[in-house]
Amino acid sequence: MPKSAGHPAAWRTIRTDLRRHWSIYMMAMPVIAYYAIFQYGPMYGLQIAFKDFQPTKGIGGSPWVGFEHFNHFFNGIYFWRLIKNTLLINAYDLLFGFPAPIVLALLLNEIRGRLFKRFVQTVSYLPHFISIVVVAGMMADFLSRAGLVNQILSSFGMTPVDFLKEAGWFRFLFVSSGIWQSVGWGSIIYLAAITTIDSTLYEAARIDGAGRWKQTLHVTLPGIMPTIAILFILQMGHMMTVGSEKVLLLYNPLTYSTADVISTYVYRKGVLEASYSFTAAVGLFNSVVSLILIVAANSLSRRLGDNKLW
Amino acid sequence: MKTSAGERAFGWLNALLMIGLCFITLYPFLYVLFASFSDATSFLQSSGLLFRPAGFDLGAYRAVFHNPMIMKGYGNTLIYVTLGTAINLVMTAIGAYVTSRSQLYFNKILMFLIVVTMVFQGGLIPSYLLVNELGMMNSMWALLVPVAINTFNLIIMRTAFQSVPVSLEESARLDGAGDWTILFRIVLPLSMPVVAVMILWYAVGHWNSYFAALVYLRDSEKYPLQLVLRDILIANNTDTMMAGSASDDKYAIGETIKYATIIVSTLPIICLYPFLQKYFVKGVLVGAVKG
Amino acid sequence: MIRKKQVIPIIMSAALACSLAACSGKDGGTNAAAGSASASQSANPPKLTDLKYWVANHTAATSQMKTYAEMGMYKEMEKLTGVKVDFQHPPIDTAQMQEQFNLMIVSNELPDVIEYNWINFPGGPQKAIKDNKIIKLNDLIDQYAPNLKKLLDANPDWKKQIMTDDGSIYAFPFLRGGEKVRVFFGPAIRQDWLDKVGMRMPTTIDEWYNVLKAFKEKDPNGNGKADEIPIYLDKDLFNIDAPFLGAWGINNSFYQDNGTVKFGPIQPEFKSFLETMNKWYKEGLLDQDFAAPNAKLLDNKMTTDLLGSTATYNGGGIGKYAGLMKDDPSFKLVAAPYPVLKAGDPAIWGQKDFAFNGIGAAITASNKNPIETVKWLDYAYGEQGQLLFNFGIEGQSYTMQDGKPALTKEILNPSGGVSIQQAIAKYNRATWSAPFVLSDDFQVQYMALPQQKDALAIWSKPTAERKMPLVTPTDEESSKFASIMADINTYRDEMLLKFIMGAEPIDGFDDYVKKIESMGIDDAIQVQQAALERYNAR
Repeated sequence: MPKSAGHPAAWRTIRTDLRRHWSIYMMAMPVIAYYAIFQYGPMYGLQIAFKDFQPTKGIGGSPWVGFEHFNHFFNGIYFWRLIKNTLLINAYDLLFGFPAPIVLALLLNEIRGRLFKRFVQTVSYLPHFISIVVVAGMMADFLSRAGLVNQILSSFGMTPVDFLKEAGWFRFLFVSSGIWQSVGWGSIIYLAAITTIDSTLYEAARIDGAGRWKQTLHVTLPGIMPTIAILFILQMGHMMTVGSEKVLLLYNPLTYSTADVISTYVYRKGVLEASYSFTAAVGLFNSVVSLILIVAANSLSRRLGDNKLW
Repeated sequence: MKTSAGERAFGWLNALLMIGLCFITLYPFLYVLFASFSDATSFLQSSGLLFRPAGFDLGAYRAVFHNPMIMKGYGNTLIYVTLGTAINLVMTAIGAYVTSRSQLYFNKILMFLIVVTMVFQGGLIPSYLLVNELGMMNSMWALLVPVAINTFNLIIMRTAFQSVPVSLEESARLDGAGDWTILFRIVLPLSMPVVAVMILWYAVGHWNSYFAALVYLRDSEKYPLQLVLRDILIANNTDTMMAGSASDDKYAIGETIKYATIIVSTLPIICLYPFLQKYFVKGVLVGAVKG
Repeated sequence: MIRKKQVIPIIMSAALACSLAACSGKDGGTNAAAGSASASQSANPPKLTDLKYWVANHTAATSQMKTYAEMGMYKEMEKLTGVKVDFQHPPIDTAQMQEQFNLMIVSNELPDVIEYNWINFPGGPQKAIKDNKIIKLNDLIDQYAPNLKKLLDANPDWKKQIMTDDGSIYAFPFLRGGEKVRVFFGPAIRQDWLDKVGMRMPTTIDEWYNVLKAFKEKDPNGNGKADEIPIYLDKDLFNIDAPFLGAWGINNSFYQDNGTVKFGPIQPEFKSFLETMNKWYKEGLLDQDFAAPNAKLLDNKMTTDLLGSTATYNGGGIGKYAGLMKDDPSFKLVAAPYPVLKAGDPAIWGQKDFAFNGIGAAITASNKNPIETVKWLDYAYGEQGQLLFNFGIEGQSYTMQDGKPALTKEILNPSGGVSIQQAIAKYNRATWSAPFVLSDDFQVQYMALPQQKDALAIWSKPTAERKMPLVTPTDEESSKFASIMADINTYRDEMLLKFIMGAEPIDGFDDYVKKIESMGIDDAIQVQQAALERYNAR
C-alpha cells in the first residue's frame, strides 16, 4: 500500500503517476463511480449493528446501543458451537470441495475425444441448476431409513444407518452433496485457464521427454496456478459463512450439534423477532474475520508464489 | 505420438471415471424430468429411484403454461439477461484491465478497496433507498445497474488479463495504441476463454436472479421468469393451504409442479454452455493473435 | 321477513353511497349510516375518489387477476362508492412480504391504507402510531364507522383484542366471529382402520395407546406385514397448540394459568408427557422418522396406507389426502377429538385462533382523507357489506334461500380446473382474510367434504382457556425475549427428541429444567407476564 501521502516525495510520485497514466485513470472512472455509489454508498447501513434499528425511525434515527448485539451473540451458550460448526464445514469444503473442480478439470483435459469431453462437461454442470429444495428432498428420500442407500447397504449385509438423524454424518453429507452439485460448474474456470496456456510449453516439455503425467505436473498445473491461488484467497473470505438455506432443509434438532451454523441460528432468532440489528452485528463480525483471513491468505500466497490480489 | 501402457490404462480409467460422473450428475436431472411428468399421487407413493414417470400426467406443465405471465416472463428475462450481461462484460473488462495494470500507483489501494466490498455490504435497506433516490424503482435498470460488476468475476478476469504477455502490449504501444485499443484489440481477444466463462456466469446469474426483481419491481408486467415461476410454485404449495377445500385439483399437481418449474426454468439456460465451449479450444487464440 | 331483509340493505347502500360521495341535503332516514353522512357534512371533507391500498395478494387470486381491483367485491364497492382503489401487492412469500413492508416503512412512501398483520410490527402497533406511520382510529370510528362501532360495543372481547395496551385502535380488523372459522388443525385418524380393528374413536391418551397398539398388531392395512406406523407427531406439530401434549394441560411454549404465565417444557407434566412419548416410540407406535420431519416422506406414508394417525390441517391434510386418494374408496381420514388424560374431562388445549389474529387495514399518516376512508372501510361491517365480503355478489356467487345466502353450484362445483377457492376468489377474499367479519355460515358451506365439516365441529370443542392472548411486548422486551429464547428453544428442541428417543434418560429431566432456568427462562416469563398484565388491563 502507498506510504503516507503527506510526504512531499510521495506527492511527486503521485503527480507523475497521474500524469503518465491519466488515460487509464479516465478509463477507470465508471468503475470507480460504480464502487463509490453502489458499494460504498450504502455502507453507512453497517451502523445498524451498533443501533437498535427500528423501521419507523430509519437508519439515522434509531438509537445507539453500542456493542449490545455483539454481546448477545458472543455470550450465547451456543456461540462456540456455532463457530466450530461453521468453521469445520468450511474446512471440509476447503479440503475436499476446493480441489475437486481442479482435479476434474485436469482429468477432463486428459480426455482426447472432443465430443465425449464436451458431453461430460455439459452433463457434470447440470446439478448446479437443480434447486436446493429438490436436492435436499432427494437426499431425504434416498438417505431415509427405508431409502435407496440403506437398501443397498442391507443387501450387502450391513446395518442400516439413519443418515439424516446422526450428527456424525451431517458434515460429510453436506460437503459431499455440495461437491456433487458444484464440481462441474466449478471446473469451468479451470478449463478456461488451461486453454490459455501457451502450447509451445507443452511442445518443449515433450521434447524433454515428459509424459502426460509430467506435462500435467510441470506445465498445466503451474499454468493454472494463478487462478487456483486467487480462488483460494477468495474462498478464505467465505470461511465464516455457510448458507442457511441448505442447512435448514437438511438439519433437525438431533443433528444441531454438528449442523447448527451461524446463519441458521440467526434465522431461528429472526423467527422470534425480526431483528435487523442483530443480523447486521453478526454479519459485521463475520465480515471482519473474513477480511482478516483474506489479508492473511493474500500475504501467504504472495510469499509462496507471487500470486496476489494486491 | 507414442503413449506408454500406463498412460493408456489411465486413459481408460479416466474415461470410466467420467462416465460414472456423468451418471451421478445426469441422473438427478432425469429424476426431476421424470417427476415433472408424473401423476402426483403415484409420485408420492413411489420412493427411491425413478426410471420413468410414475403415472404419466401433464398437469404440472399445464398449470405452468396456463399462467398468462409465463411467456412475458421469458421475454423479460431474455431482455434482462442480454442487456445485463452486456453491461457486466464492459464494466468488468474495464475494471479488470485497470486493476491488472500493476504500474499504477493506486493499483494496490484500489484493489484492496474493491476486495473490501466483497465482505462488507451496507445491507438491503440503504441499497433500497439508493435505488429509490436514483429513480430506478420499478424499472429494469434497478435489476441491472446495481449489479453491474461482480467483484469475484472482476478478480477472475483480472487474473486472466495478467497472464497476457507484456511484450504484446508493449509492441502495440510502440505502434501508438492507446489503452482502449489494447484492451479491446489485444487483451480481450487473448482472453476469450475467460470472457466465455464471464458470459456464462453473468448470464446464469441474471437468469436465476429474482430477489432484486422482488424488491424493486412493482409492476408484474416486468417480472422475470423466475418470479412468475415462484408465484406458480407458491400458489400450488399444498403445505400452506390450511383451510382450503378438498375437491381442489391443485393437490393433484402440488408435488410435481416443483419439478416442472425446474425444467421450464433451466432448459433454456443450460443450452448456453455447449455454445460457449468452442472458446475452450486450446491454443487457437494465442496463435491467431501472434500470427 | 325476506322482503324486509332485502329492503334494508338497499336503503343502507344508498345511504352509504351517499355518505361516501359526501352528497349533501339528503336525509337517509333512521339507520346509522345516515348519521355519519350528516357528520361528514359538518367536517366537510373532500370527495374520496381514489385510494392507494397496500395488501398482500393471495395465491388463489394471483392466477386469475393482476390486482384485487379486478375482484367482484371491489368492482361492486367502486360502483357503490365511486372510490377507485389502486391496489399495491407485495410478494406472496411471507418473509419477503415482511421485507417489503419494512422497506416501505423505512422509505416513508406510504400508501393510504395498509393491510398487514400489525401484531408482527416490531414493537407492536402502538409504536407505529407513536412514530406517526399510522393513525389512531378511536375517535374516527366513534364518529364515522357506525357498523364497526356497533359490533365492538356488542363484543367487548373483540374490542379488547383489537386495541393496543394503551387503548388505541389502529386498524379495521379481520375478525372471525364464530368458533368454526377459527379452527383448522387437529388430530386425525384413519376411521377405516379403526373399523377394521373394531375399536371406537379414542378420546383419552390411554385409549389412544390401545388403538395405536391395535394398529401396530392387527394389520389394518391388510397386507400381511406388520409395517403399519400407528402415529406420526413431531415438534412442529406440538408447537401448534399442543395436540396430545395438551392432554397434560400444558403446551410446548408459554401459556397462562389464571393470569400467571408459565413455560410448558419445564412443568412436571412435561416429564410425564415425555415418558408416554418415549414409551410410544420404544414400542414402535410413534413413527421412527418423527425426529426429521419431511413432508414428502409423510405424504408417501399416508398415501401408501402405512400411517394410521397424525395431527394435521383440515385443508392441507384431511382435504388434501382425500383428494390424493380419491381412487381408493376405503381410505377415510377423519378428525379425532383432542385427547385428554381422564375420560369425560373437557379438552383445554386445541388449535383455535382468536377472533382477531392481528390482520387489519390501518390508515396511514399520509392519507389525505381519513374520514372518508374510514367510512369506506366501515361498509364491510354493515349488513350489506357482510354479504358482499362473505358471499360475494347475489345472483352470481350466491343466492338467497330461505333468507340465508347459499353459494351457487358454479362456485361449489367449478369447471375448467378451477378450485373452489379460486372460484370464490373471483368475487371476494373470504377464503383467506380481509377487514370484515368472517361468518361460520360461509365456512361450513366452503368446506366441501363431510369429514371436513365434521372436523370443524370436533376440533372446535377445546376451551383453549390457557392459550396466551396476542400480547404485544415492547421493543425492548421483545429483543431481550428473543435473545433468551433463541438459545432456550434450541436446547428444548434438542432435548425433546433425545428424551423421546431415549438418548437421554428421563431421569435427566430435572437437570434439563435447571439448565433452562439457568438460561434465563424467568426473565422471558416476566416479559410475557408483563405483556399479559397489560393486555388484561385493557
